[in-house]
Amino acid sequence: MFRRTPVITGTGILCAAGCGVGAVWDALRANRSGLGPLTLFSSPRYASQLVGQVRADVDELAGPVRGSRSDKLAWIAAREALAAAGLADGPGTIDPARIGVMLGATVGGMLGTETFLAALLREKKHIFGRLRFHECAGAADLCAQQMGALGPVATLSTACSAGAMALLAAAELIEQGEADVMLAGAGDSLCRLTLNGFGSLLLLDPNGCRPFDARRTGISLGEGAAMLVLEAEETARARGATILARLAGWGASCDAYHATAPQAEGRGALTAMQRALARGGLAPGEIDFVSAHGTATPDNDAMETRALKQLFGNALPPVASVKRFFGHTLAASGAIKAVLAVQSLREQAVPGTLGFEVPDARLGLEPVREFRALPVAHILSNSFGFGGNNVALVFGRAEAAGSAGSRPTISNAGRARTSFAILGVGAVSAAGGSLAEIIATFRNGGAATSTFAIPALSPAAQATVYACGELGSDPLIEPGKRRKLSRLQQMALLAAHKSFGASRTSTVAPEKVCVAFGTGLGSLNDTAAFVENMILKDERAPRPALFTSSVHNSLASQIAIEFSLSGLNSTPIQREISFETALWQGTTELAAGRADLALVGAADELNQYQLAAGVRRGWWNGASASLRPFAGALKKHERPLPGEGGALVTLGHADSAASRLAVVSAIRIGRSSGQDAEAEARWVEQTLKRDGMAANDVDLLLTGANGLTAQDDFYRAVAAVLSRQAGRTVACAAYKHACGEYYSASAFGFFTAVALVRGELAPELCTADKTPLPGGCRTVVLLTVSPTGTKGMCCVRA
Amino acid sequence: MESLIEELKNKIIAGFNLEGVTPADINPEAPIFGSGLELDSIDALELVAILEADYGIVIAERAVADRAFASLRALAEFVQANRS
Repeated sequence: MFRRTPVITGTGILCAAGCGVGAVWDALRANRSGLGPLTLFSSPRYASQLVGQVRADVDELAGPVRGSRSDKLAWIAAREALAAAGLADGPGTIDPARIGVMLGATVGGMLGTETFLAALLREKKHIFGRLRFHECAGAADLCAQQMGALGPVATLSTACSAGAMALLAAAELIEQGEADVMLAGAGDSLCRLTLNGFGSLLLLDPNGCRPFDARRTGISLGEGAAMLVLEAEETARARGATILARLAGWGASCDAYHATAPQAEGRGALTAMQRALARGGLAPGEIDFVSAHGTATPDNDAMETRALKQLFGNALPPVASVKRFFGHTLAASGAIKAVLAVQSLREQAVPGTLGFEVPDARLGLEPVREFRALPVAHILSNSFGFGGNNVALVFGRAEAAGSAGSRPTISNAGRARTSFAILGVGAVSAAGGSLAEIIATFRNGGAATSTFAIPALSPAAQATVYACGELGSDPLIEPGKRRKLSRLQQMALLAAHKSFGASRTSTVAPEKVCVAFGTGLGSLNDTAAFVENMILKDERAPRPALFTSSVHNSLASQIAIEFSLSGLNSTPIQREISFETALWQGTTELAAGRADLALVGAADELNQYQLAAGVRRGWWNGASASLRPFAGALKKHERPLPGEGGALVTLGHADSAASRLAVVSAIRIGRSSGQDAEAEARWVEQTLKRDGMAANDVDLLLTGANGLTAQDDFYRAVAAVLSRQAGRTVACAAYKHACGEYYSASAFGFFTAVALVRGELAPELCTADKTPLPGGCRTVVLLTVSPTGTKGMCCVRA
Repeated sequence: MESLIEELKNKIIAGFNLEGVTPADINPEAPIFGSGLELDSIDALELVAILEADYGIVIAERAVADRAFASLRALAEFVQANRS
């Protein structure tokens, strides 16, 4: 089968070592570190730490765009990469629908959020504008908007492997034909949360990081961004773009071992590297240089060395870690290393391991010390994140592009297998946690609301919400484990037990089970508690447990640990389409045969600060006491009532399971420039068509309608266009009256869709006109279109 | 010293939400982590935070923590010697 090799046609970089690929390369060539004093913000505890702070004026460099520091770092690097790829002036001859953005992020706008919380807690000042760019998804939205990209747009947050994971996901999209051009990379700014967080884990080296050195004690924190333009080789050649290098192989794995510590023998790291080599059809002997994760923590470097020795035996190629040049830039780390790998392949030279002086006899590793010329055809680049989220990438010389035919071609089954069996569903929601409870909630016309206290506001306030209530005593989670889990982690694990625990079969190997579990905002309450403690105690006694559970991918990695699942482990965080992105990524693993089961879901929790802005702005002071889709009750300045919840679906191969609940297909993510019903209906039809379906197969369009007139009217209009195309009625329906409004609510929508096609839930409890479907409800399209334009869909059939 | 050991036992039980564990269940001579209490490396770091918050002892290096947590008695001696 034809393989679409992803090639790299543009790179951009911004970090403490310099602005721009050329400047950073010069710093590497000169063995010059960019580490220095922290001046971006004051930190009583870590004032003397050496950090990799970007010294240039980021606001000025970014130009007129709006966003967090992370967003701007990302955009500056993106602009450089796009210019290098000849795409600075827009898509040119490329169809915008074939251009996408896939970014990694861990910090987002936390720097601004910290300022907001400090003003609120210390001075009782409400500066809600500081929260505006809190979200990690901001950079992907910004880049997509600037580029006019209308293909798949999403953000992944797998801690320190996020940038590499984004490249992996972008490569998948190109290989399976979902996009021709992808902007991929990551950006993360310095902030107090990560500085104090790594400090609380005793993982900061006051002397600056010393990778692989016997005296190493930890990382130096850095910030920065790097972006690559990945492109299908045929697209690049057709438009005459210069091919800089190619992404020759990629692989992911999960340790399924611990929240922060790597598995000591490097089992997961080894697996990721083996998968990357296998994917590229390469033998270990064909790797000429290893760009190590090499964070300089005692555990990482020991683990990574063991894994490398297992992979390469006595023939270990030159290894280097570049962390001392610009610090550990978290999500950006893997993307920066990718750009440097491209540069190494072009220049036939490799960077040295600045900071390494004293060899560690326990490791027995002598890394490259200084920049030097080296003939390199293939470079292996490792990225390992908290939760044991491992990604390995292999980059190859541009000259070898097009010769992939001589290598064992990996069949691209991406578009061949597009139907998947739904084997189990589980939910935690305001509507309840069991199918019976949720059906009863729909019969009652929606879930009951409750009040959520906001003591941080003065005078203290409260919001009306759809909350999940107490999770504390559910026997599915062992009490010994529960004490260490955040509320959101408990929601995720409960949904996983209900879905996967119930449908689990002993015949599936753990490495053939992948987890893609999204979240819009992550563990807000633990994150807030960590930052509150930090502000109120002037950084004394930072709390490591709160930091580790503040990490977005702690949900997916806890699921992996609970069930020992070592397949790909990913955490999409793309606002309203976090679940849809997880669905795409999980089923991509199934389609390619790398996984036999995919655990796909998403969760979000309520938090007082998130609600405080809404109370102050009067969003929930109107007549509406509940969320009623299609009721037209919300005034223009009001918002739908917020909710929380988690849901997880276990998916398998369509042909392998007799005990399936239903089937899902037509899975896709994309972006619109606005909410245009005609265009969205065309997108839905086109997506159905490529999986052999048509509008007249659809009985019901299940939407994110939430009571906002504009939103509800838009979804109704999409259903009307689909009805016209189908020549019969496609009913428009909603689910948020049962769960409330939150970023990952469509995971609950998926649960609802399964209940609808199985005849367990009467469609008139969801439809806009509250009337039954005369022909029954066998096929449901679940559609989510966010206000920022990102969108996702799937089709659930009986 | 014995009263400090009891005090630390209670802090560990409360700090880690150890349901059903009483001070008598904790052997003052056994390693605090990696033994019968099912406490892991994050708990060890939490204990570092507790020592700083409650006794003003700042631990910046993992090796110092590892020595201090060799047993509850070792910890009590460490606290005694370093508290502010």
